[in-house]
Formats: sequence, C-alpha cells, structure tokens
Amino acid sequence: MTWRFAGLIVIVVAAAGASLLVGGTSLSLRDVTGALAHPHFGGAVNAIVWQLRLPRICIAATVGASLALCGALLQGMLRNPLVDPYLTGVSAGSAAAIAIAVLAGVAAPFTPGIGFVAGLGAALLVAALARRGSGIDANRLILAGVSLSTLFAAVVTLAIVRAQSNDYASAIVAWLAGSMAGRGWHDLATAAPYVAAGAVLSVWAVSPLNALRVGDVRARTVGVDVDRAQWIILASSSLLAASSVVLAGMVGFIGLIVPHIARRLVGSDARVLLPACAFIGAALCMIADAVCRWVVAPAELPIGVLLAFIGVPAFLYLYLHGERAR
Amino acid sequence: MIELRGVDVAIAGRTLLESLDARFAPGELVAILGRNGVGKTTLLRAIAGLHAPAGGSIHVDGADVTRLAVMQRALRVAFVTSDDVLLDALRVRDVVAIGRFPHHRWWQWHEQAADDTAIDRALDAVGIAAFAQRLFSTLSSGERQRVWIALGLAQATPVLLLDEPTSHLDLRVAHEILGLLRTLASEGKSVVCVLHDLNDAAAYADRIVLLGEGRLLCADAPDAVLASDLPERAYGVAMERVRLHDARLRVFGTTSGSKRLNAGGGGGRYPEPSRADRGEAPQ
Repeated sequence: MTWRFAGLIVIVVAAAGASLLVGGTSLSLRDVTGALAHPHFGGAVNAIVWQLRLPRICIAATVGASLALCGALLQGMLRNPLVDPYLTGVSAGSAAAIAIAVLAGVAAPFTPGIGFVAGLGAALLVAALARRGSGIDANRLILAGVSLSTLFAAVVTLAIVRAQSNDYASAIVAWLAGSMAGRGWHDLATAAPYVAAGAVLSVWAVSPLNALRVGDVRARTVGVDVDRAQWIILASSSLLAASSVVLAGMVGFIGLIVPHIARRLVGSDARVLLPACAFIGAALCMIADAVCRWVVAPAELPIGVLLAFIGVPAFLYLYLHGERAR
Repeated sequence: MIELRGVDVAIAGRTLLESLDARFAPGELVAILGRNGVGKTTLLRAIAGLHAPAGGSIHVDGADVTRLAVMQRALRVAFVTSDDVLLDALRVRDVVAIGRFPHHRWWQWHEQAADDTAIDRALDAVGIAAFAQRLFSTLSSGERQRVWIALGLAQATPVLLLDEPTSHLDLRVAHEILGLLRTLASEGKSVVCVLHDLNDAAAYADRIVLLGEGRLLCADAPDAVLASDLPERAYGVAMERVRLHDARLRVFGTTSGSKRLNAGGGGGRYPEPSRADRGEAPQ
C-alpha cells in the first residue's frame, strides 16, 4: 500500500511538472525551474509561471481532488456506485443561478459567489426533500437530486434560448462546459476555506464510512450515528462540489469515475480510499487541463468535454478489461 | 441482564405486542419464537435500541436502551442480522473489524493490539480464522452467517442478539451455529435469538419465549413450553409430541387437523420414539 501511495504522489508531482511546461507559450524546463527558484524576479517567464500556470495548476488539483473526494463520500454513504458529486443538485443549482445572473447583467466578478451560494442552497433543498425523521433517505435523496437537477437544467436551457446576445449565451455555455481559463490566485483563495471545511468534515467521515459498508442497520448497531454521519457527509460533499463549480464550472467524469479507479487500486477502506481519490483526481484534472491548453493552443478546449471524450472510453476499457481478467 | 418492563411493540401505528415483562440473565440462551409477523424481530430490534418501544421500557444492565447514546449502546448490545448487503471487495477480517467501531474515538483509525486480539478471538470462536483474508463475496451462506456473528463478537458486548441466525442454513451448519451460541452463553453472555424451529430452540436454549395472541405467552424452560398447549396457541396448528430416549420432548405440527393433539404436561402421555427415531437399527 505504501508503494502505491508513493506511486500516486509521484504521478501528482509529475502531472504538476508537466502542466507547468505546457501551454500557449512554450517554456523549457530551465525556464520553469529558474522562475520557480526566483519567484521575485520580473520578466515574462516569471509572470507566466507564477501568475498564470501555477495558480491554474493548483486550481486544477483542488477541483480534481474535491470532486473525486466528493464522489467517494456520496458513493460510500449511499452505497451506490452510480452516484456522482452533482447528485445533490449543487452544479445544476449553481448553473441555473449563474445563467440567470448573466442574463440579468450581473458583473462577472460576482457570478462565482452567486453560483456558490445557489449551489449550496440547491443542496440544502435536496437534503430537505430527502429528509426522513432525523436522517436522510437514500432513495429520496437520489430522486430529489435528479428531479431538481432536471428542473435547474431546464432553467439554464431557457436562459440560453432567451439570451439576447451571443455573448450571454457563450458565457453560460462556457460555464457549463467547464474551464479554468482566467482563474487565478484570488479565486483559489476565495474557495480555499470552503474546500478546507469540506475536507476536514470528510476526515471525520472516514470511520462511519467504513462501518456503513456493511449496511445502515449494522452500522447503527456498532455505534455509528448514521443520521449525523449522513448530514456531515452531505455537508462535506456539498462544500467540495460547490467550491469546484465556482472554480471550474461543470467538470464531469472525475467525481463519478475516480472513486471506481481508486477502489480498484487500494480497496474500499475509506482510510486509504479517500486520499487515493484526492491524489488521482488531482493528477487527472491537472493533466486534462494541460492537454486542454496545449492541444489547440492558443485556444483552449473545455475540460469537461475533453474528460468525457478521452476519460470515459479509457475508463470503460480499463473496467471491462479488469472484469474479464477476474 | 436484559429487562423488559411492560413493553409494547408497535410498527407503523399497529400494536403487535403488549405489556411484555421478562428478564434475560447473563449466561442464558433465550430463543424467541412465534408466528410470522407476530413481532419477534421488532422486539429484538427494540432490545437492540433500533426501534423505540411504543410503551414501557427496556433496560440493559440497568440502563434504558432508548436513553443510551448510540456508542454506549453499542458497547452493551450487539445485534446480528443475516440481511445481506452488497459488500465491495471486503475481506472477512475487514468485515469483522467493523465490530470494533465502538471501541474507537473518531480520530482513531487504526486497530490497536486489543482490537487485533478481539478480532482474532471472534474469528476463532466461529471457526473462520482460516479464511480471514478471503473475500466476503466468495463465502457460502453458512460462512457469511459466521462472519456476521464474528462481527457481533468482536464488538465484545455482554449482550448478543441474533435475528434468525439459522435461516437459509443446512441442518449441519444450523446446528453448528446453535452450538456456538450455546457455548457463548455458557461463557457468560446474554444470548437472545429469534428462531423458527421449536425443536432447535428446545435442543439448545435455556428458555423459550413464545409470542402469540399479541402478547408474551410464556418464557419458560423448553420442556415446560413444549408440554403445554402454548405451541398450538402460538402457531394455530395441531401438534404431535414425541418423547426422545433421553426423556426430552419434541413437537411436530400435523397436517391432519387436531385429532391427535396432545396438550398438557406429563411425560407418560407421549409416545415413546421408535427404534428408527432413536437412530437404532431394527432387530
């Protein structure tokens, strides 16, 4: 297990290093190491490394780790491998609010905040609908999440249709496609407290998640306060998902698939599964973002689109290959 | 010690059982029996603190189970159910280790020496130490049942509750499980289980709790229960009784109505078993 984690850390570091080298402007390894070693030197290279690529890499790592962590938490809580981070309505709620804000002409710097609040609001609404007694009913949560997400998606579609100019429509579509273009240290600093809060709550959830693997009833009999665990996991996953949506828009695939990959690699023990998800999610998102910047440079591909085109077939191959090998 | 004080058991507003009073002592194996839907499992869940009684109170070692914090309850009562859940690639030892949850604080993620000892002892007790590293999904029904019991044992509680521990098991495995419960009781645990077979209960339990007619019909020694007309009242079928060569009674439901019904006590009124019943060769 130690070796596997060492391997994952090496992959994360390698992905970060490769991401620093890749982009619209070609930089050599020497340029990058020089800029990293002397952060206070001026010059274009330092500006590219410190003001453009490094914050973006950190954001990609944060988004990837958060979504993967969020997926693992929800899949573990609901014992359903088809659940993804957006089940709680966070992304659809954010997208609907942002679409309305764009249409209403709200200034661009305010839209992420609006998206964050709306995302958490949507998650609260879903949780309220899924509430049964003092806990959460898994089936109701899935039904409420899917239903409200569909409703919010309709709001977004309506907003695009009603957009009076192509600029508005493009802004909304760009958000839906997922991208980290134009994000910087300020955005990361704004989201960091919420990501940290979500991550701390996920640490608390490790032991309950392990016990929940044998079912709700058995978890209760061994002393898990299942109702409290569900609320904490939901709060953690909502904070992580909402922060990711604010930082990068809708980035699919990672939250659904990375927990599967991690389970194949390290098993379902939450003590190792959650950190493995964070590492794999971070590495995958950094690599995908680098490819998005590089493949059609100086333009950029939306990361959500790239992940769907490459990631899903790759995962299906790995999954089916693994099934046959069993 | 488990005490039921005037307990009413209801589910979805429908009262199943009323005014139950009983005491189950440490070192005792108690079997709860009755017709389907009479409230056996609901009563067991109420004792486990998973279902609030509609009235009265249930005390475990003097504490009202409904007032105990979930962790405190888990240190006193283990509840073994055979409902299967989808376990993704969990090894037997990992499943049993979950029983150690109440012995940890939330930040204590790793097993201590005491946990290892308890897990090993639980695996040994149910005879599955040899496949501790096997995947749960590769086990047979009987082996899985042993794993669930081991999980309950790893919890190291003075009270062990089991809901139908022998359902879906073949005769041999069922008797091995019941023998194990007998041993656990003789080691000092309060063992209370829901069973369906009166004769299995009579063979292994110290007392039989018979539920029927919306109440506790009796909580008595097996022979006294089987000799009475209470099994007929509990199940609503005629019964035949056979006294074994060791003088113990066994009952069998009849399909021919109640013409051969033998109610009441007294050993001499029951037919002696044939040689074949005793497993002896005919002469």
